[in-house]
Amino acid sequence: MGATLRAVRALVLLAGFYLLGVVLLAVLVGIDWLLYRYAPASLAAKLYLVSVLLAIPVVRGLFMLRTPREEETAGLPATEADEPELWRTVRELAEQVGTRAPSRILLTADVNAAVAEDARLLGLLPGPRRLYLGVPLLQGLSEAQLRAVLAHELGHYSNSDTRLAALTVRGRAQVLRTITHFEQRADKSAAREQARQEKKNAKAEAKGKQAKEVDPGHAGVTYRMMAKIYITYAKLYFRATLSVSRRQEYAADAAAARIAGRDATAAALREIPVLDASFGFYMNCYATLGSGSELLPPRGEVFGGFGRMLSARQLELAGMRTELPTEPSSPYDSHPPIADRVRRIEELPDDGRADEARGAALDLLSDAQNTLVALEDVALTDDVRRFSRTRDWQELLDRTMAESFGSGSTSLHRAYVMYTKDQPTLPALLKLIEDGQLWQLAKRLPLSDEAAAANGRAFREFVRPTLHRSLISMALAELNARSLLRWEFSWERSAIPHLPPAPDGTETDLAEVVAPAVADAPDTAPLRALLANDSQHRGAL
Amino acid sequence: MIILWVVLALIGLPLLALGLYFLKAIVQGAIEGWRGTDDDADGPYELPAAAAALGMLPPDRQNKDSAGPVPAALTAALDAARAGDWQPAAALLDATAAERDWEYRSVHSSWLASVAAEDDTWLLAWEAARPDDPGAALVRARSTVALAGNIRGAQRAKHTTAEQFEGFHRVMAQSQEHHARAVALGVEGDPTPYSAQISTALGLGYPHAEMDRIWKEITDRAPHHFSAHYTALQYWCAKWRGSEKLARDFAADAAAKAPLGSLMTVFPLIAHFEHDESDSADGDRTPEMRALVDAALADVAAADPSHPHVAEVRHLLAYYLCLQDRDEAAVEQFRLVDGYVDSLPWKYRGDPAGEYCRMRDLSLANAAG
Repeated sequence: MGATLRAVRALVLLAGFYLLGVVLLAVLVGIDWLLYRYAPASLAAKLYLVSVLLAIPVVRGLFMLRTPREEETAGLPATEADEPELWRTVRELAEQVGTRAPSRILLTADVNAAVAEDARLLGLLPGPRRLYLGVPLLQGLSEAQLRAVLAHELGHYSNSDTRLAALTVRGRAQVLRTITHFEQRADKSAAREQARQEKKNAKAEAKGKQAKEVDPGHAGVTYRMMAKIYITYAKLYFRATLSVSRRQEYAADAAAARIAGRDATAAALREIPVLDASFGFYMNCYATLGSGSELLPPRGEVFGGFGRMLSARQLELAGMRTELPTEPSSPYDSHPPIADRVRRIEELPDDGRADEARGAALDLLSDAQNTLVALEDVALTDDVRRFSRTRDWQELLDRTMAESFGSGSTSLHRAYVMYTKDQPTLPALLKLIEDGQLWQLAKRLPLSDEAAAANGRAFREFVRPTLHRSLISMALAELNARSLLRWEFSWERSAIPHLPPAPDGTETDLAEVVAPAVADAPDTAPLRALLANDSQHRGAL
Repeated sequence: MIILWVVLALIGLPLLALGLYFLKAIVQGAIEGWRGTDDDADGPYELPAAAAALGMLPPDRQNKDSAGPVPAALTAALDAARAGDWQPAAALLDATAAERDWEYRSVHSSWLASVAAEDDTWLLAWEAARPDDPGAALVRARSTVALAGNIRGAQRAKHTTAEQFEGFHRVMAQSQEHHARAVALGVEGDPTPYSAQISTALGLGYPHAEMDRIWKEITDRAPHHFSAHYTALQYWCAKWRGSEKLARDFAADAAAKAPLGSLMTVFPLIAHFEHDESDSADGDRTPEMRALVDAALADVAAADPSHPHVAEVRHLLAYYLCLQDRDEAAVEQFRLVDGYVDSLPWKYRGDPAGEYCRMRDLSLANAAG
């Protein structure tokens, strides 16, 4: 089958997606007509009712297809006046690829570069284009690598493969958007149902009743049934158009390699999964570190810190680059596995352009610092923007740690409350250990079947890791409260707690100080000495 | 009107057929179930007259914790330890050291260690009273190994939880330190502290080179130590850290070098048993296997009757003699060990006593007929 024929088939299937509901309705009407003609009136009346019931989800399904117009992803508009260098690069690339340049550029806060088009008539007619460009991508790529990424994205619209190729791209995007919309709505109604049931359970538990298993199973059954029919069809459509799409991805890669250089294109492909994973890690462990205590790093640092973390963790990242994903990221994804794409590009002959445009892509922006500040205003929600700002990252860490320890709750805390009906504090717990009641207390910890069945020494071994961990976090909280603890902020590693030094001047190992307190014959003296910061006593350790 | 009948026929007939099909399946299942239970109903075990005549016992009266009679002094020491008194245990181990009886030192320390793995109060008292006692150090090391085993449980890996594995490895790792102490305090010429290390080698997967190093320490002190060979053979088995070839070679080597009466000839039989996955007894009836059984029979006849492991050898001999249809010889071995079933091959089975009695009664019936 030729490329054109394949593209035509894709178009017919695309039309089918939108006609599916109409066909289903027509079938129902046809059955009703047959009933009217041949069945006795009493039976026909009942079967009409059935067909009306069946028609309801189909009609709802037809309305579901009215996917709301794609909301513009929140982005910071970059005008040509503000970012002349960036615009010049994009125009130049569009020209080399042989397609229209986008009419707007929007800077976003994710690891992403995408050209979106407001295609009209279900993706059949072209519309205005927007380029979404993630600032984290600029922070992690060199200029040449960014050019490769942009050339690839623009390449999708170049019609270089077949005149219908661009149509396939738009069609796929529309169908994907529609079924994503279905799934989101199904999830939403399931989530609502789950929340409702959980609330009910909470009430039942408060009254001391056995809570029922939460099962959002039957929420929106008709809706999900219809969505399933459409999704099944969409999968068929995606499978049928996959070969066309894959070819286009390879063609876009080849265009990128031609325009931005072979090595830069391969390097960019290797870099993107690494940046994606690193950015997720950064947002989790750094940017939102203080979110529990409603704290934010200084202005510009919410996204600015990512660049700093990338340079501090170069070694770690180098290792990640060698492992390429060999699976496509999702079943709907038109992109072939990255490993495969990198292999194809690296097989191209050397073009001697390895040293082109090695500067950071972020330098394309005329005032990067300013952009990072402005980006926070569009990317963060109003609620988050109201969080107070710390002076620097170290202060963010200190205040977050102080607050998190204030509300510390481990399984040991809960076991203590259950056992003594008293407030769980470290001094009280140490007293209880000294009174020889630790193993009685341990029986109140959440236990596995094996641990609960064990006795004596085996039981103590089962609970010791939990006791040790919980006691360490209680000790950290106590040390923090007594200002004996200092946290060291680091871009390379997770935050490191610094305790008062041991008597011989070496670093104190808290795990070692706590261990005797949960030994078979518990000894709390070293931990008490540490809390009193009495280095002499700790010499006995 | 005719269309109604067509519709009814189209929907009704398949439904009727489906219903009939289910009915047939239900009736068939019920009949099979009824027959099945009829077949399985073994009824209570009845001791054959031949067994009763020889004073043999039914399964529920077989001792499931030992392969043979436990010496009275050991039983007394175990009871004392459970009651918190360490002195009889210490005296027992001191006696083995004085007599340089390493076989019994191994047996005693192993039983004491399993008591200490449950509750070590008495052992702590012993250690406190006699800080550098070699016997206490040995029992400590072996009890840590036994504790690790208790935490892991006896289930196969897939039925063992991550928590159990984690605890097993943590405690096994602690045992290394205790072994080192037992070795350092060890009585001159005693292979037992080294032999105890094999369990940790097996549990933590020591490399073969390390195992060979431990093995040299043992054989330099006692070349034909039974329980050291027994545990080492386990290490070399395919299911643990070795292979079928390594295990068979190890066993053959041990048997070839040993004098008559050392019981080393049982190890080729154990190596065969550990790697036997066939459903038929053909592999157990080969001339080679008959020769191995003959050698073990001669060995056990020459052995000191008070050797602590002689019963274990007889259990395995009885099993293979029965499989080789040498039923009279099998009955002779069964007669000598009856009353205890915690030994190979029975201890690997779900119902050791039942399996033992089944084989025993087969040999009794064949020998009589």
